[in-house]
Amino acid sequence: MDKNLKSVIGYVVGGSLKENLFVRLTIPAYDVQEGGFVVIESGDWLFYGLVTDLQLGATDPRFADEQSEQRLPPGLAKLLHGQTLYTNLEVLPALMLERGPDLESPEYLRWQEAIELGLKQRPAPLPVKTIPPHHARVYLADAGHIAEIFGKPETKGNFVIGYTREQGHPVCLNLERFVQRSAGVFGATGTGKSFLTRLLLAGLIQHDRTSVLIFDMHNEYGFDDIASDTQEKVVGLQTRFRSKVRVVGLGQGAMIRDQRPDFDLEIAMRDIQPEDIELLTRELNLKETTPTTLEALTNSFKRENWFAAFKAMRNGAMLEGDDGKKFPAPDSVAAWANTVGVNVMAAEGLHSKLGRVFNCPYIVENPAADTVSEIIKALEAGQHIVLSFGNFESDLDYLLVCNLLTRRIRQAWEQRTNQFRAKGEKEPRQLVVVVEEAHKLLNREMAAQTTFSTIAREMRKYYVTLLVIDQRPSQIYDEVMSQLGTRVSGWLGDEDDIRAVLSGLAGREALRGMLARLQPKEEVLLLGWGVPMPLPVRSRRYDDKFWEELLGKAVGGKRSEQDILREIGF
Amino acid sequence: MKPASNDAIQIGRLLRAGTSGFVVGCRVSQLESPAFGGLVRAALGDDYQIYGLIHDIHIDDDGLVRQLVTAEGIDENVIADNRLNRNVPLEMSVLSVGYSQGGRIYHLLPPRPPLSLDVIYLCSPEELRQFTSAGRFGYFRHLLRAVDLPVSELLAAHLQQAQAAHAAAGNQAWANQATQELIILLRDDYATLMSVLGTLRDGILDF
Repeated sequence: MDKNLKSVIGYVVGGSLKENLFVRLTIPAYDVQEGGFVVIESGDWLFYGLVTDLQLGATDPRFADEQSEQRLPPGLAKLLHGQTLYTNLEVLPALMLERGPDLESPEYLRWQEAIELGLKQRPAPLPVKTIPPHHARVYLADAGHIAEIFGKPETKGNFVIGYTREQGHPVCLNLERFVQRSAGVFGATGTGKSFLTRLLLAGLIQHDRTSVLIFDMHNEYGFDDIASDTQEKVVGLQTRFRSKVRVVGLGQGAMIRDQRPDFDLEIAMRDIQPEDIELLTRELNLKETTPTTLEALTNSFKRENWFAAFKAMRNGAMLEGDDGKKFPAPDSVAAWANTVGVNVMAAEGLHSKLGRVFNCPYIVENPAADTVSEIIKALEAGQHIVLSFGNFESDLDYLLVCNLLTRRIRQAWEQRTNQFRAKGEKEPRQLVVVVEEAHKLLNREMAAQTTFSTIAREMRKYYVTLLVIDQRPSQIYDEVMSQLGTRVSGWLGDEDDIRAVLSGLAGREALRGMLARLQPKEEVLLLGWGVPMPLPVRSRRYDDKFWEELLGKAVGGKRSEQDILREIGF
Repeated sequence: MKPASNDAIQIGRLLRAGTSGFVVGCRVSQLESPAFGGLVRAALGDDYQIYGLIHDIHIDDDGLVRQLVTAEGIDENVIADNRLNRNVPLEMSVLSVGYSQGGRIYHLLPPRPPLSLDVIYLCSPEELRQFTSAGRFGYFRHLLRAVDLPVSELLAAHLQQAQAAHAAAGNQAWANQATQELIILLRDDYATLMSVLGTLRDGILDF
């Protein structure tokens, strides 16, 4: 109890379950910050909450208006201010936990015994259903409280994602829970999304219960990189997990950060489906006649051959007859369109616009290897894939490749899951698909057409979830956003983005300001189903210390002779 | 509460009394010890004493004084004689702030007022300390209710005397605690509180 008394910061003076609780602060206001994790004692229960606001108050406005320190001696003014001027905390109650009777009372032993005998349910944090009474003591949470709610760092599957802002207690993310539903990492540009994602991915890879497929649009995750702001070296995932992470480059002979990837990805023309083209509607400015033309193409050449056949057609090729009249050449787009009764202008227009796709060097008739299958096999075997786009950084490349690959993966995982459920075969390995610039694939127009929205909505049952990374969450389709279990958000300035990140969450009004007032760097707000309660944290640094803690050995510098001997088994 | 000591300073006898206060009559020669804001007690037996704070000291005229004030060159002996042998006593009005019974101090109005001609004593510093440290300044209630009295001045005078008694015994914090309690009691009455604090500021207490 003495320990608690030391950190008492105030007492409850009002509030409600629907609104927030109000706490009269008994320590200087600067010792508590917005987002502070507080605990409220109330009989046999503890309430856990989040400071969402600090308000200055006065018993009479005149005490606040008048600078009485100028009229009264300092000691007298201090006494006056102590009783008439105050700070109230607004606390968002989130969880409650039964802690039982006083530790030293005989009732506690009986209570504990009832739990051990199974007569009473073991206490666990519950969503808050009632409120503490007036004058209930409030104190700042200590490391034990944080561990009680967010899990102990030493427990397997708990990954320390950051530390509480005031006292630096470690805050864990339960990785098992994290991957059960799709998740999102958000934040304005420069807020450290990539570093945070690296942290999470390193945690997932080290935990080794989930495979990860990263669509690395900007070639950041596989090999070592240089931080754009500090110009310091940023260690790539493959550097630390050499045997677990495979880097795949797009196109034959791709070079990623001047290094050769483990595989080259070439896409077979037969793999390209009409849906892949339809989702490029905005990118290629396709007309509304496109679906009709594509359907005619698949009817004429089958789904496997339409792309190669259409590419082979000549656009605008004409021949001249004996009578001098011009007519479409037999291998022309127009000749095919006339044959199948499709509008010639529409077909020729589509062919012309698909020129950018036809010219993609990584789309070939017969790839040297079936890399897509290799990727799927590697993921099934528990390896992790970083698909780097190399020099192909256009939206077209990203949209086309991501969707195509994900569609194949989805099919594979659906098949494995059905076999597992129907025939009792091996359970599929959990897969997390990491999508950068997610709004390009999951915006309102595209969401219905891409595989990603299906994954976000339904694939949880098939062991596949998304980790979307974006700086404009407002651009992501609401239906997808609402499915995101865990949301980790850095600072956001745009009101629409803030609203999108908080959509579907309780207490969002209170959290709104908190999100807008995060430090631009190294502070994130943990939200959503995957975390027991919202909490702003100072995110962990992605440095040698992180790797040492994660891998349990020294990294970055020279290894000692003892370390080397230990590694090789002596 | 200790019984009154034999060397207690007697300041007069009771003239008239009510539950909330009483008036003490005394000779001019007895006026050297009591002061505005002083704590006095009416001893109604060893087991029952009533405590009060002097809030007014009143000197009424008589016929002789009326004649003398208009005379020229009054002899010093005449003045001394008038003060020592005057017919009309000096009057000290006292606000009842508590009582003791069975060795315990109560900051409540006394169950019965003192009777006429009861002897009134000035409290010693020890008695002042005992009375002011009993409970939690409950006797402030009686002062703050007495709206017809110069409350600010009375409080300031009382706090000054009580703080001196506590400080002499090594307790420097009493004035702070008392002031804090006053602020709590008066924080919804801005005008009175600022008036009280303004009086305390005027050099009476060292904050």
